[in-house]
Amino acid sequence: MAMGTVLAWTILLPLVGGVAIALIPQSGSKFARPVALLVTGVVLAMATWLWISFNPADPGMQFEIVRDWVPGLGTAFHLGVDGLSLPMLFLTAFLSLLAVIASARISEFTREYFTLILLLEAGLIGVFIALDLILFYVFWEVVLIPMFFLINIWGGPRRRYAAIKFFLYTLAGSLAMLGGIISLFLATGAQTFDMIALAPQAARLSLAAQTAIFTAIAFALAIKVPMVPLHTWLPDAHVEAPTAVSVLLAGVLLKMGSYGFLRFGPQLLPDGFERLVPLIALLGVVSIVYGAACALVQTDLKKLIAYSSVSHMGYVMLGIAAGTAAGVLGASVQMFSHGLIAGMAFLLVGAYYERAHTREISAFGGTARVAPILAGTLVFMSFASLGLPGMSGFIGEFMVVTGSFGPFTTYSAIAAFAVVLTAGYLLWMLRRVVFGQLNEARADMPDMTRTEAAAIFPLCIATLCIGVFPQVLVGVMEASVESVAKILGA
Amino acid sequence: MADPTVALTFLAPEIIVALTGALVLVIDLIWIRSTDAPNTPRPWLAYLSIAGLGLAAGAVIGLAGVQTTLFEGIVILDPLSTFFKLLFLAIGMIVLLISVDPLPGFSKWSAEFFALIVWCTLGNMLLASAAELFTIFLCLQLTSLPLIVLIGYAKRDPLSSEASLKYLLLVLVSTAVLLYGMTLVYGALGTSTISEIGKVLAEQRLTPVLALGLVLLLTGFGFKITAVPFQYWVPDVYEGAPSPVTAFLSVGSKFAGFALALRIIVTGLDIPLNWHLIFGVMAALSMTLGNLGALRQTNIKRMLAYSGIAQAGYLLVGLAALSEMGIASLLFYTAAYGFANLLAFTAVIVFANATGSYEISDYAGLARRAPLASFALTVALLSLGGLPLLAGFMAKFYVFLFAAQAGLIWLVAVGVVNSVIALYYYLRVIWQLYVPEGSLDPISVAPRAGLAMSVCAVGVFAIGVFPEPVLRASQMAASALFGG
Repeated sequence: MAMGTVLAWTILLPLVGGVAIALIPQSGSKFARPVALLVTGVVLAMATWLWISFNPADPGMQFEIVRDWVPGLGTAFHLGVDGLSLPMLFLTAFLSLLAVIASARISEFTREYFTLILLLEAGLIGVFIALDLILFYVFWEVVLIPMFFLINIWGGPRRRYAAIKFFLYTLAGSLAMLGGIISLFLATGAQTFDMIALAPQAARLSLAAQTAIFTAIAFALAIKVPMVPLHTWLPDAHVEAPTAVSVLLAGVLLKMGSYGFLRFGPQLLPDGFERLVPLIALLGVVSIVYGAACALVQTDLKKLIAYSSVSHMGYVMLGIAAGTAAGVLGASVQMFSHGLIAGMAFLLVGAYYERAHTREISAFGGTARVAPILAGTLVFMSFASLGLPGMSGFIGEFMVVTGSFGPFTTYSAIAAFAVVLTAGYLLWMLRRVVFGQLNEARADMPDMTRTEAAAIFPLCIATLCIGVFPQVLVGVMEASVESVAKILGA
Repeated sequence: MADPTVALTFLAPEIIVALTGALVLVIDLIWIRSTDAPNTPRPWLAYLSIAGLGLAAGAVIGLAGVQTTLFEGIVILDPLSTFFKLLFLAIGMIVLLISVDPLPGFSKWSAEFFALIVWCTLGNMLLASAAELFTIFLCLQLTSLPLIVLIGYAKRDPLSSEASLKYLLLVLVSTAVLLYGMTLVYGALGTSTISEIGKVLAEQRLTPVLALGLVLLLTGFGFKITAVPFQYWVPDVYEGAPSPVTAFLSVGSKFAGFALALRIIVTGLDIPLNWHLIFGVMAALSMTLGNLGALRQTNIKRMLAYSGIAQAGYLLVGLAALSEMGIASLLFYTAAYGFANLLAFTAVIVFANATGSYEISDYAGLARRAPLASFALTVALLSLGGLPLLAGFMAKFYVFLFAAQAGLIWLVAVGVVNSVIALYYYLRVIWQLYVPEGSLDPISVAPRAGLAMSVCAVGVFAIGVFPEPVLRASQMAASALFGG
């Protein structure tokens, strides 16, 4: 089978699976999760197959597939992956499977829930592998709808507010992006929306045009990342979303933004991107410090993790803004690594919440005595998150800091210093949740269940693997990252 | 120019539709005479009507390649008329399908109801082909008069009677205005066929009489299109009319106005006026006032009425581009909007049959009681709001793209902002369906309504995911209009 077909099926299969689950009659609701498990499992297998067949030496697009879609408008069903998108594709497939595993307790509207999860997976994968602007935009928006409903129907007490806030923020961004895409199409005069075909013409646009267009698109991307000050939807959405949805939200959804910066910036509108680089770097650093500072004062466990996401994504943005090979590579690794660690974090917080029905840090204490495995994994996650060498978080942040030292010395120093803040809020959280006096209310807290372990341990293993053998991940990315850095260096 | 007998074969679809209406009435008379229970519902009459419209649709497709004028140029057959005729027939069939269930109190007169819808569809089809002012006038009467009766069909409901009276007054006024305009145009130019008018206009200076005539003409169409400033009748009439009739008005009648306006406007483009600005302002006002009005509504029919005004605005954005592609995007939009709006109304009818209410607050928790109908309404509203993979996104995208290409950036900006406002009130209905807890008794969906929803939903998804066939048809229709 041509690999392009496999690539297309990573989108089509979740779509088909989602529709199939929606069509299961009410009496068969219990089959919804097994079907979703099967579908996400096969998608992960396909993603692995693509990873193995990928030629790491080739910086360009691989496994391309082009089918007519709306030729009258110059838009086609064009898919492909390079070293930047393949890891994201894999991450999405991986986390989607774990999210389905972790959704064992969903008891209301199960068919609808798993249908939406699969639609979300299809949309997310679509964003990462689409090579046509309209297709990209369609997938970008497709992600929005299942996410809105997943938060709105299965979320916590303030889900309505959180869902609408998420929706309005992203929608405002999307419209700006659509405006940017249309302007790009009209400004180049090219009769195509194909990113590859459009790239040379887009790069020839005047600085002013590129800046205007990229600003519109970057606005949408910055909301998704999210970059301070556009981040306020994130804590609300995270706190209200059900556990598995938080995993996908933090693990993959945010990466749509940073991935978009890499795809639209250097590869499509390099001059416009260069122009915004100082702002992106500044906001990146602000996000790092501000996110960490906010995390420090949270009393809600999930909010703490949400703000830590803001901080960690700041490193990604700083690395991208640096534009050096090490910076971009660090950003890409950090994107992948944060996907794993944030996934782990939300699964753990979810597990704690299910036992205590509260996420207040003060409601816990000494949990290591009653639930040693769960608590131990929380410790492991925290160390991964604060960048302990030997785990994936270290590789990404270290490369970002070194990679941005040349172009942004001060920012790089601040980012390095901010690791102390990260360590601060995580260790302090650990002291209050895991260690110390046992909170009497938690005296009979059960330890990690098998299902939870099945969802969390693969992430721990992956974090360690990348920490110890970074080449597994870096090898795939390197060639494409080099080509991006070359464009920006020129 | 074809000879009259041949010409009649070109009108086969219209003849089939006219006969279908008559046949339904006659069969009903015979049936009532021969039965003891004349009040029993007779859904098969609706099926018969649908079959007739289906046959006519087949005939339209069979004649799709024909491009000619008939009877000294008063009737024109081209891809544009084909496009609209198919659209009107599809709308007619769906409306007939959703008319069967809401009519328990009126089953005694159901034959007349179906026949009037059929004839109204006939009027719409003829309007798509009419190419001469007084033919246009006659066809307009053919669509308006049945509508007056249809709107007042629920005669024991004061709202329905009120709506009917309002529509009657509106028809009277707009007809008078239109007729006056036609007389002035005819007086100024000495011809009434549109092709001749185009030729004369190209050489003529704009005299005050002619200008007044054209303005009055456009005013007459404005009422049908429901664009600002001719929109004030819409909410009351839409609310009062029986729901299937509202559904019919909201798409069939509106598109008939566009079908007609397009021919005349494109012909009159040589007149040195800033048409971009005129239609642009109308579009911006319709979108803004429609959406702002919809924000405050608590009744779903009124909300959809205001949303319909806003949608007329988006359609006008396509017109304001004044380019072939702009018109094509308008045509594409009609198809996308048609399916989505009918889908929304079908779901609204299903809910109203079960709860007896059109209040949005009564939609609380309906998703648990009628998951499929709730899903249908969700899809419809999201499509109206313009989210991708649904028809509405592609439609808005095309319209905005070609308006931007024509340099109407400000109008696109207004349109985009309006899309956000619109999504807000569409989403409010969707929350209401899914979020609050309500009663749990399941609502049964009649198979007919289920079929109508499936057809519309498939249409919404198909146009959203594979827009190419409809896009190609609209481009062909638009290029025919520009003489390509």
